[in-house]
Amino acid sequence: MASAAHAVERRWSLSSRTAARLRHWSLRTAAVAYLLLMIALPAAVVIHKGFARGLGDLRAALAYPGATGAIWLTLATSTAAAAINAVFGTLIAFVLVRFRFPGRRLLGALVDLPLAIPTLVTGVMLVALYGPNSPIGRTLEGVGIQVVFAQLGILLALLVVTLPFVVRAVQPVLLELDPVEEEAARTLGASGWTTFRRIVLPAIRPAIAAGALLVFARSLGEFGSVVIVSGNITGRTLTAPVLIFQLASQFKPEQAAAVASVLFAISFGTVLITTRLTRARKAEAP
Amino acid sequence: MRPHASPSASRLIVSLAALALLAASCGGSSSGAGGSNGPCTPAQTPVVNFAAYSTPREVYGKVIPAFQAMWKEQHGGQSVIFQESYAGSTTQAQNVIAGYPADVVALSLAPDVDAIKDAGLITHDWTEAPDGGMVSTSVVVFDVRPGNPLGIRDFDDLTRPGVQILTPDPAQSGGARWNIVAAWGAALRGHAGVRKGDEAGAADLLRGIFANVLTLDKSARDSIQSFESGNGNVAITYENEIRTAQEAGLPDEAVYPPSTVLIQNPVAVVDRNAEAHCVLDVANAFVDFLHTPEVKQMFLEAGYRSTDLALAKKGDPKLGYPPIKDLFTVEDLGGWPAVDGKLFGSDGIATKALAEAQG
Repeated sequence: MASAAHAVERRWSLSSRTAARLRHWSLRTAAVAYLLLMIALPAAVVIHKGFARGLGDLRAALAYPGATGAIWLTLATSTAAAAINAVFGTLIAFVLVRFRFPGRRLLGALVDLPLAIPTLVTGVMLVALYGPNSPIGRTLEGVGIQVVFAQLGILLALLVVTLPFVVRAVQPVLLELDPVEEEAARTLGASGWTTFRRIVLPAIRPAIAAGALLVFARSLGEFGSVVIVSGNITGRTLTAPVLIFQLASQFKPEQAAAVASVLFAISFGTVLITTRLTRARKAEAP
Repeated sequence: MRPHASPSASRLIVSLAALALLAASCGGSSSGAGGSNGPCTPAQTPVVNFAAYSTPREVYGKVIPAFQAMWKEQHGGQSVIFQESYAGSTTQAQNVIAGYPADVVALSLAPDVDAIKDAGLITHDWTEAPDGGMVSTSVVVFDVRPGNPLGIRDFDDLTRPGVQILTPDPAQSGGARWNIVAAWGAALRGHAGVRKGDEAGAADLLRGIFANVLTLDKSARDSIQSFESGNGNVAITYENEIRTAQEAGLPDEAVYPPSTVLIQNPVAVVDRNAEAHCVLDVANAFVDFLHTPEVKQMFLEAGYRSTDLALAKKGDPKLGYPPIKDLFTVEDLGGWPAVDGKLFGSDGIATKALAEAQG
């Protein structure tokens, strides 16, 4: 009797372990399959298309007027956007979390607005605001600054479109941060800036890096706002995503795919390097 | 990340600061800063801003260097720099109106140039240029699957049940209007199963076509690309598009309706901009150059037809341009302003037919 009960229990526990393992396995399979299906597969198709005939299509694409300039411009503006939004995104997150003032909630909602409006509309708004026919655009041009239909306009569009990323990455970490440490630092005589630099910044640095990375990656591919704001001048304001579009509409889908693969590689490489760096830094930290 | 970023960052901060100051100081009225101040002194190396629709990019890749070489030879070795911008025709027109400093525009249809004119940036009659201001032409045709399995010959074949049509959205693509004008004009001229001059019959034809439209794409190129990826069984498009696709090795096949419209692509000097930039003479010389036999030949080689109606109608069967039995122009239908209002106005015939088919 006892042994039978024991056997039942053992079988039950065995099957429960199998069930757990099955559940684990099916969840993992679902996650991996979804990722592969939604991201890896389309990317693989593009890469295959771009390099099915070797490097010839990439070489032809790079020989297209303004192509290399477009890739460099996209890299430069994306890097600048990541750097600037890292600073201002952190500032906004800090103010939203640590300060209490009227309109704070509204400001918090405003941060997400760029995600909610089509980027094409963002482009149209920027042209209306800073375009050569607007009062602001005219006055800026008077002092020698051209925003719209110039490289500065591309940067501005990227900054607007990617503004939420650093804010939303840093904000939750700041909220979790125990203010006691900061208070202790301050009572020990540290200035506000020193407190921020020595206490807050180390804690939020990985979040800033993650947010800035999102900004960079998103900027590499931004099309809607840039195609409106840049004027698409070959060799000057033509960006890589617009170049890809132009190649595709010249019946050169292979060349378009080759350039797209280059952007993939840069984006993916940056992600890998940044994760490696942040992990190394975390390991170093005491 | 360090707060000290790139020079562009500091430049942006400077501009933002300037903005804040402006917002505080400047009221509604703006100073008369625009336009050229004082007498115009041409630059040593003139810069021409050229804004074109995307399709002819490759032709201009040959035309512009040829012009630069010619100018250099005729002007004691002076170079001309071209700043080229390519985007959709209507987008370019809107950008120029919004202040894009184009000196010369090459667009897909006359109403886009007229929009720039209406904004006051073109102050001359641009149609007085040679060939009425047109530099290239093509014809509206049908792009069908190899062997034309549905046996499509004319616009009324498009209204048969089971035909799936791709054509761009006239609300989004200026160029899409050509396709509708082609069907409308063919019907009014007594083709496609409609009695000559029968406007009600022509409107019925449009309704029948729209009822079979599978997708309304953003542009003519989007339509033909969608067709290539396997959507639909006929795309209404232009002959030059099919020729480009064929040259790229795609199995597109053109069917020529007996009666169709001559697509005419205009070029114009945006004289207000060209004057302000002091490049009016170069801009005018460039547009004149576009009407020379040398450039016409380049357009022919790129898959376009002649700007001469008779030659366009005759085609060149040896080079694969069949003759068109009844080729008409928008002028034959009363000109763009009239056609635009009649078909594409808010209660235009095409606008209403499209709304009915979709509703």
